[in-house]
Amino acid sequence: MARRTSSRGATTANQQSAQRAATSPTEPRGRLPIDPQTGDPIAPRAQPGYYPGFSTLAQQKFWDEATSQVVLRRVNEPPPIRFFSPEEARLLRAVIDRIIPQDDRDADHQIPILNVIDDRLYHHRNDGYRYDDMPPDDEAHRLGLQAIEAIAQATQGQRFVDLPPDQQDRVLQSIHDCQPPAAHDIWARMNCQRYWMLLVQDCIEGYYAHPWAWDEIGFGGPAYPRGYMRLEHGRPEPWEVEEQRYEWSGPPWSASNRYEPIGGEQGAMAPGQEGTH
Amino acid sequence: MKKSPLFGAFHTPEHDGAHRLGPIQKIDVEMRHYGPGDEVDYIVVGVGSAGGVLVQRLARAGFRVVGFDAGPFWDTERDWVSDEAGSHNLYWNDLRISGGENPLAFGANNSGKGVGGGSVHWAGFTPRFHPSDFRIHSEDGVGADWPISYWDVKPYYELLEREIPVAGPANYPWGDPHGYPYGPHPLGGVGDALVRGCANLGIGVVAGGPVAITSGSHADRPHCIYRGFCIQGCKVGAKQSTLISHVPDAIRYGAEIRANCMVSQIIMGKDGKVTGVRYFDADGIEREQRARVVIVSGYSIETPRLLLNSACPGFEQGLANSSGVVGKYLMAQAGNVIMGRFDEPVRMYKAPPAHALTEAFYETDPARGFARGFAIQTVGPLPIAFAKQMMVAKGAWGWGLRKVMMDYNHWAAFGFLGEILPWEDNRVELADETDQYGLRVAKITFSLHENDKKLIAWGKNKTMEVMYAAGAEEVVEEPRYAHLIGGARMGDDPRASVVDSFGRSHDIPNLFLCDGSIFPTQGSANPGLTIQALAARTADYLIAEGDAVTSRDRRLHAAPPIRYDLSPRGVAGRGMPRVKSSAHGISVGLGGLAIGNDD
Repeated sequence: MARRTSSRGATTANQQSAQRAATSPTEPRGRLPIDPQTGDPIAPRAQPGYYPGFSTLAQQKFWDEATSQVVLRRVNEPPPIRFFSPEEARLLRAVIDRIIPQDDRDADHQIPILNVIDDRLYHHRNDGYRYDDMPPDDEAHRLGLQAIEAIAQATQGQRFVDLPPDQQDRVLQSIHDCQPPAAHDIWARMNCQRYWMLLVQDCIEGYYAHPWAWDEIGFGGPAYPRGYMRLEHGRPEPWEVEEQRYEWSGPPWSASNRYEPIGGEQGAMAPGQEGTH
Repeated sequence: MKKSPLFGAFHTPEHDGAHRLGPIQKIDVEMRHYGPGDEVDYIVVGVGSAGGVLVQRLARAGFRVVGFDAGPFWDTERDWVSDEAGSHNLYWNDLRISGGENPLAFGANNSGKGVGGGSVHWAGFTPRFHPSDFRIHSEDGVGADWPISYWDVKPYYELLEREIPVAGPANYPWGDPHGYPYGPHPLGGVGDALVRGCANLGIGVVAGGPVAITSGSHADRPHCIYRGFCIQGCKVGAKQSTLISHVPDAIRYGAEIRANCMVSQIIMGKDGKVTGVRYFDADGIEREQRARVVIVSGYSIETPRLLLNSACPGFEQGLANSSGVVGKYLMAQAGNVIMGRFDEPVRMYKAPPAHALTEAFYETDPARGFARGFAIQTVGPLPIAFAKQMMVAKGAWGWGLRKVMMDYNHWAAFGFLGEILPWEDNRVELADETDQYGLRVAKITFSLHENDKKLIAWGKNKTMEVMYAAGAEEVVEEPRYAHLIGGARMGDDPRASVVDSFGRSHDIPNLFLCDGSIFPTQGSANPGLTIQALAARTADYLIAEGDAVTSRDRRLHAAPPIRYDLSPRGVAGRGMPRVKSSAHGISVGLGGLAIGNDD
């Protein structure tokens, strides 16, 4: 969840404690991405990314009716939580906040992800197959939460939701690396690498389906019936926006800043599951 | 709108209750319905790439045809969206179990459901197979030969390239060199990168197709608007699916399309012939339909599954399976995605994902140390697909995922398409688990063999080299498997194959298979065009056979006459230069093909 912070340098304390607050995972400001030049946290904004002022929703009068209905319902009516228990939902929400952190988004522009996963499982919207070393998706999600909680307890002696975010990252990193230090009974029933992919892919389905995420990355969104004119050289359409880059990186304590293969450096790469060609 | 000077080439049509296929095309005739007591001539199970062509040909030839599909009969204006997450229902989302050392992904990856089938969500690349694809056992000692040659299929390639119609370069240099009837599409950012990378390495490359997307308006289908949502279903009606190219014509000629009907069993009669099918209708009620001939067009998983699920006394190991080959020799193409980050923006969501490729590495080169080859093609993943690819290729999550995704517009993606050979142990069987109808689901086993692994390793590196040569500063790769093929192979030997080259089962005279499942090998060409071409060939065979088709004794193996007059409305005379012959009063294509009358 986003935390509102005072603007940069508002604190009157000495430089050292300001720096500690800026990068400490236990401080609200420490959760923010930083400017790598100065080390200063970057204040949350309505629209992170390099396309300020770009809005796919502003183009909705050029969308077809069926698409408008689907996308606007996604924005305006996030589905209720019905599959997960309140306790599970609280835990999964904390997990999602690490899988796709949104601390750089202000409180009014957080993209709902938990609701999307819950709705999929509630309605049994599956992907048409199950690996023979995996339980069904709904069971896999429940087992995964139990395993995450067990790892938190075994390694930190605390509930996952009560851990500071750097330690939460470490719990999740152990699953990403397919070397979970606990819950071996669960991993005997469920392939760790596939669970990781299921979890991350479900989070992606929530976040990158949202028009605010499209605005963030400069994707044009729905494009029928109008289409595109400028195909070459990455040129924006007149209604799109030229890129305006700024430097940033995730908070320095976060394990997810690094790019490492799923399964660790020695791990066999699992094939992707999405259609392209 | 200050910043939006364009109001579009056309508007979303009014809702007038008509069944729409794109903004212009409507189904404007009442569909015929056969009663429960009627015996029809042909049942086609699965109205996809093959089934759509079959029902159209057979209906035009005057037969009574019912096409069953387990999914909906799409109204593209109402049911399809210009949105990734909203397109989930285009895929076969019913349960399958996937295992083996390299288990395959199904659903959105390669399996369609609903009228049009997989052609609804293919990217539309339509290369032909090469002549060598039909004889890899003779030439390389691997896989299997086809019982037919490229030259048997070539006239059907030419025919379907006009019916689809295919846009592409004037000169296509690989395999049997040829050109395309409709002009190539303009380059997008990804195609630009592929052309640049290949050119810098001295590798031949073509751009603008071949792809099943109209580059000029075609009858009641507009041309492409370059919005990039090809694999989400083309609302524009520019990318071909049999839903829009063949099914409307089938209905016009009296075919019935029974949508949302899941065929559960092919019924055997007492005389060793099939009598029809059992199916669950849209309300889940089990019904039967009688027919003289049943054609199964359910693709590589559902076709074997239906044959196995139709086991009955006398056919305990499933129908058409005296060889034991049903379900075996399943293939997928290696479909690794190679992604390169460029300093300059690419914006790969624009232009059709499928619009440039090279087949320079298609044929066997002994120096490479493995048999057969691969193609390199453009792909255009939209944000959700791209994020999942970054999850695999870079192991990205958390802040790293957010960060690389902010660079979405700087990445280009190439699809490696590599030939995986047919192996007996890669197969479809029945699992103990059942689906929502109580039918046993398919259990798929898939593992790579030595040649496959070498081919993928070499080809993936070559593709990365091309991406670097295009100027990418960082290149990463996602392993993946694409199209399905095989599972009920054709052949001359009834002990080692399921059907003959026309799709007729060796065991049961009036049971046919017609789809990608009957391919003995797959080449490294996308299979969609060949599936449609072979469906037209099977239809010609059935039409030429007439009543004799149900006879056990009489099996024609000669090539049937090619029925150029059975193309869908709006095809005849289009897409190729013509000269008028005043002497005979007919139009003749420069390619020497007679042009049928348009109606």
